[in-house]
Amino acid sequence: MITHHPKFELIQLFVNGQLPASLSAAIAIHADMCPKCQQQIALLTEQMAEVSFEEDSLQADLEQSLTTDNDSTADYSTDLTDEETLESLSIDDMVDAITMSDELAQTTVAADKTIIYQNENYVLPKTLSSMTLGKKATIGKLSRTRIQLNENEVRTSLLQIAPGGGVPEHTHKGFELTLLLEGSFHDEKGEYVKGDFIMLDSSVQHHPISKDGCLCYTVANDALHFTQGINKLLNPIGGLIY
Amino acid sequence: MQTNLLSKVTSDKSRYMSDKINHPELCQWLDAVATQRNKQAFTNLFKFFAPKILRIAKTKFPNEAQANEVVQETMTNVWRKAHLFNSDKGAATTWVYTVMRNVTFDMLRKIQGNKEDNLSDDIWPMAESMSSEEESFNDHLENKQLLSVLEELPEAQQEVVKGFYFSEMSQEQLATHLNLPLGTIKSRLRLALAKLRAQLGENS
Repeated sequence: MITHHPKFELIQLFVNGQLPASLSAAIAIHADMCPKCQQQIALLTEQMAEVSFEEDSLQADLEQSLTTDNDSTADYSTDLTDEETLESLSIDDMVDAITMSDELAQTTVAADKTIIYQNENYVLPKTLSSMTLGKKATIGKLSRTRIQLNENEVRTSLLQIAPGGGVPEHTHKGFELTLLLEGSFHDEKGEYVKGDFIMLDSSVQHHPISKDGCLCYTVANDALHFTQGINKLLNPIGGLIY
Repeated sequence: MQTNLLSKVTSDKSRYMSDKINHPELCQWLDAVATQRNKQAFTNLFKFFAPKILRIAKTKFPNEAQANEVVQETMTNVWRKAHLFNSDKGAATTWVYTVMRNVTFDMLRKIQGNKEDNLSDDIWPMAESMSSEEESFNDHLENKQLLSVLEELPEAQQEVVKGFYFSEMSQEQLATHLNLPLGTIKSRLRLALAKLRAQLGENS
């Protein structure tokens, strides 16, 4: 059973569209496997929509109005009325231009993408279907494919651990998100299963091991830092793994 | 009858629904656009949503032209995707909000990351998946890629890397096995890793 979920603040940013694609995709994939979070997202979306499209509400006051009663936002006034804003939009032209084409949007969804690591075939979540994958790199029992999202220091990858493999004990200079897509692994804190959304910050030092192998979606904003003995030698390639 | 039914659905839907939005009316307009391609209903929706979308967009995009583009794109998608709206699943406001949020997300990504990959519909799908033609991504390079990079290393470095990673021997064991000083093993491994790192590339 899934026991690790994104924090409420993250879900809220997700609903508002304020998270980078890497983390948004992670929450979307988690929610596909987690009815509890899915429900929370649906509720928050409805709530955000309500506040956004209420008469005389402003985006800047959304957060405040979310935490207060609906009544207290009623007397909020804005500089421009809807009518005044409309005038700047040349409504007839826009409506004519839009309705000129009767074409309906195509709704075909991309086909399943699969990826093979060390003879294991994995079907990737639909959320990842338009993302560009880099080349694979395999070091011992770890295989990694970078997902090319162009988010500067934030790096997103698929990480596969073959049965019996693990990531040497390490800390992070920034944050590290691990979302389990298939299989399971454990570290000092316990066992993690498919769907678990594990967000760690730089204070955590851990040593994940996968007995039966697993595939993870990972997002990190800095290289791993290996902390133990011989594995310190891996530090120059820490950035290659996550 | 229709109106009563809809208002019941929406009023039962959530405690967040306020009286300030006429949900049944918005819902009927959107249904009219979906089923009859009704231009008057679309004009009504436009008058209700466009100014609000513009004000929200202005808080996210400093550039007026970009804020206008959000309105244009969002309302175009409302027209073209109305058939995907299902009033049983939620309010019209929620649906238009997701359309607007998706347009904004893709535009911000385009501006900030210079990426035109339009990921929003994968992250927040508007429709359930329909087709599913099998198309697999098989990278035959997998281990071959690493092996070919390895083979370009000098023999002495290869030996150490293969011993360390493939046979999973410790550096001390390797030193004994190859009858070399530990320092030599360490420096060969370090050199080899630096080369591998350069070859595989931080951004590969």
